Amino acid sequence: MSQGKVLIIGGGPAGLEAARTVADLGYPVVLVEKRDRLGGTPDAVHYAQLTHHFRDAGEVMAELVAAITDNPNVEVLTDSQVVACEGEAGNFRVTVQNGAGPKTVEAGAIIVATGFQHFDPGRETQYYNYYSFPDVITIADLEGMLRAHQVVRPSNGETPERIAFIQCVGSRDRQIGNEFCSKVCCGIASKQAIEIKRLLPDSRVFIFYIDMRMYGYWENELYWPAQEQYKVNYIKGLVSEILPKGDRLLIRGEDTTMGRPMEVTVDLVVLSVGMEPSTGTRAMAGLLGLEQNKYGYIAAGGPTGVDPVATSRPGIFVAGAAAGPADLDDSFSMAGLAAARAIATLRRAG
Amino acid sequence: MTDWNPGKVVDRYPDVPYEEKQRLFLEIKEDPRYEDYLYGCYECGICVSACPSARFYDYSPRVIAQAMAREDVDRIYEILIEDIWNCAQCFSCVRCPRHNNPGGLVTLIREVAVRNGIQETRDVLQGYSRVIYKVMLKGNQVSPDMLQPDFFPDWGPWVREFSENMQVWRQAIPVDTLRGVTDAAWRTDDKTLRELYTIWFETGNIEIIQEVDEGLYELLVDVMEEELEEWEEEV
Repeated sequence: MSQGKVLIIGGGPAGLEAARTVADLGYPVVLVEKRDRLGGTPDAVHYAQLTHHFRDAGEVMAELVAAITDNPNVEVLTDSQVVACEGEAGNFRVTVQNGAGPKTVEAGAIIVATGFQHFDPGRETQYYNYYSFPDVITIADLEGMLRAHQVVRPSNGETPERIAFIQCVGSRDRQIGNEFCSKVCCGIASKQAIEIKRLLPDSRVFIFYIDMRMYGYWENELYWPAQEQYKVNYIKGLVSEILPKGDRLLIRGEDTTMGRPMEVTVDLVVLSVGMEPSTGTRAMAGLLGLEQNKYGYIAAGGPTGVDPVATSRPGIFVAGAAAGPADLDDSFSMAGLAAARAIATLRRAG
Repeated sequence: MTDWNPGKVVDRYPDVPYEEKQRLFLEIKEDPRYEDYLYGCYECGICVSACPSARFYDYSPRVIAQAMAREDVDRIYEILIEDIWNCAQCFSCVRCPRHNNPGGLVTLIREVAVRNGIQETRDVLQGYSRVIYKVMLKGNQVSPDMLQPDFFPDWGPWVREFSENMQVWRQAIPVDTLRGVTDAAWRTDDKTLRELYTIWFETGNIEIIQEVDEGLYELLVDVMEEELEEWEEEV
């Protein structure tokens, strides 16, 4: 058996799952995380409940972290960043920098799991006055409120009566260059709408959308319950602008399936911001010399197009949202495949 | 809680107070059948595709379901006054993949309109007095010779030719039971009639007629009571 190691960059869902799989299969792992703790974006942004059975996100992430903690096969380097890499498949020499100074890690294979960041609604143009109107928030902001079990209007701390979600903010938009679908926001908005109705049963929740992408079981686990049990109103049509109306917000759009323009007054607007490659993903792609697609994600698929964890560089694999919008299932599935490919690389080298 | 009320919509009935529209909406929504008739709508349009009325009239079962789901009371009031009378109650729309029943919603809305004796509802039903009269007294409303080409576009382009030649064509059909049906449709035997009248009284149907047409109501009650009294005397 090869004595090589797998270096994993990123301690979010994909990185943690890849680390667990490599370690469980008996190979040593070095997991490098930029933040001072593991858990990735779900932890950093204080996600409340996951779409999976509405499980507590903190609990799920803690379980993933626990699975590699005190594992003799896993070395975790937090507050650390990869600053240099040379060599080739089977024999990479990676420099990891942290407070203690630079350290060289010999690794046979590398898995990049540096993830995404939420689209910034203030990028380029001020989308929907996110930075001007306190009662315009994002799904990421709302996760924090839901985690605290307190959904309020930031402007005055009052309970909102009418809440509107706007879908595809920063996604499917040629104007801003993000032509892709961010894949999870439909499910997340529906999940959050249900959570809001559970907290505030008298509230009225609208979701303005272009298409609702409720693939697989999200249809019956999220979309139908949101509509049928919680009476969330899905309106096909996007909001063009948000204006102040007294101390509330007036949103303008078209109710396309009813065939008419509309103006609706609400107390809280939630922007369903999409995914973009994280700064870490862009930095690692550059440092490791990985081909990126036009959106900045790490180009995956390999020469065959059907290898979702292959990068342009042999021996370096990608898992999770570093390769494009991904939900947790995608991230975990890719992590397992990346772990298998990485170990195969070690074995071939050994 | 406030309403849906999208501001730019032209309200076709601005003189009717919002509270009155809201009251009627709640009466529809509180019907115990409502929950089984409207689950959720993803606005696919299969109900419209299946709906014969939608081909000929400005009518959409999808809009009925959507307006109810949005709790759009202004639009629902329009539906109560206008749209529901374009539905033929054929229930082709129940092929909805979400298992909604827009035709059933129309039934509920019609019942609320009639129960509340809305003036427009009375006006609409005025033209149906003869039909109601026949249905209530004979248990049958349409006989083939009532086909009028101008009012039955959904019967297809050949309805005119059919109506013009019906007598001849029917005589040409060599089946005894069909030959005389144009006038036999309203010949109902006494036992059936008496049972029918008993049902109208016992179920409260006759009181619904009273809400929309007092004169017709009195006429019907006279005939039916006389028939039932005759029956009691025989018994």
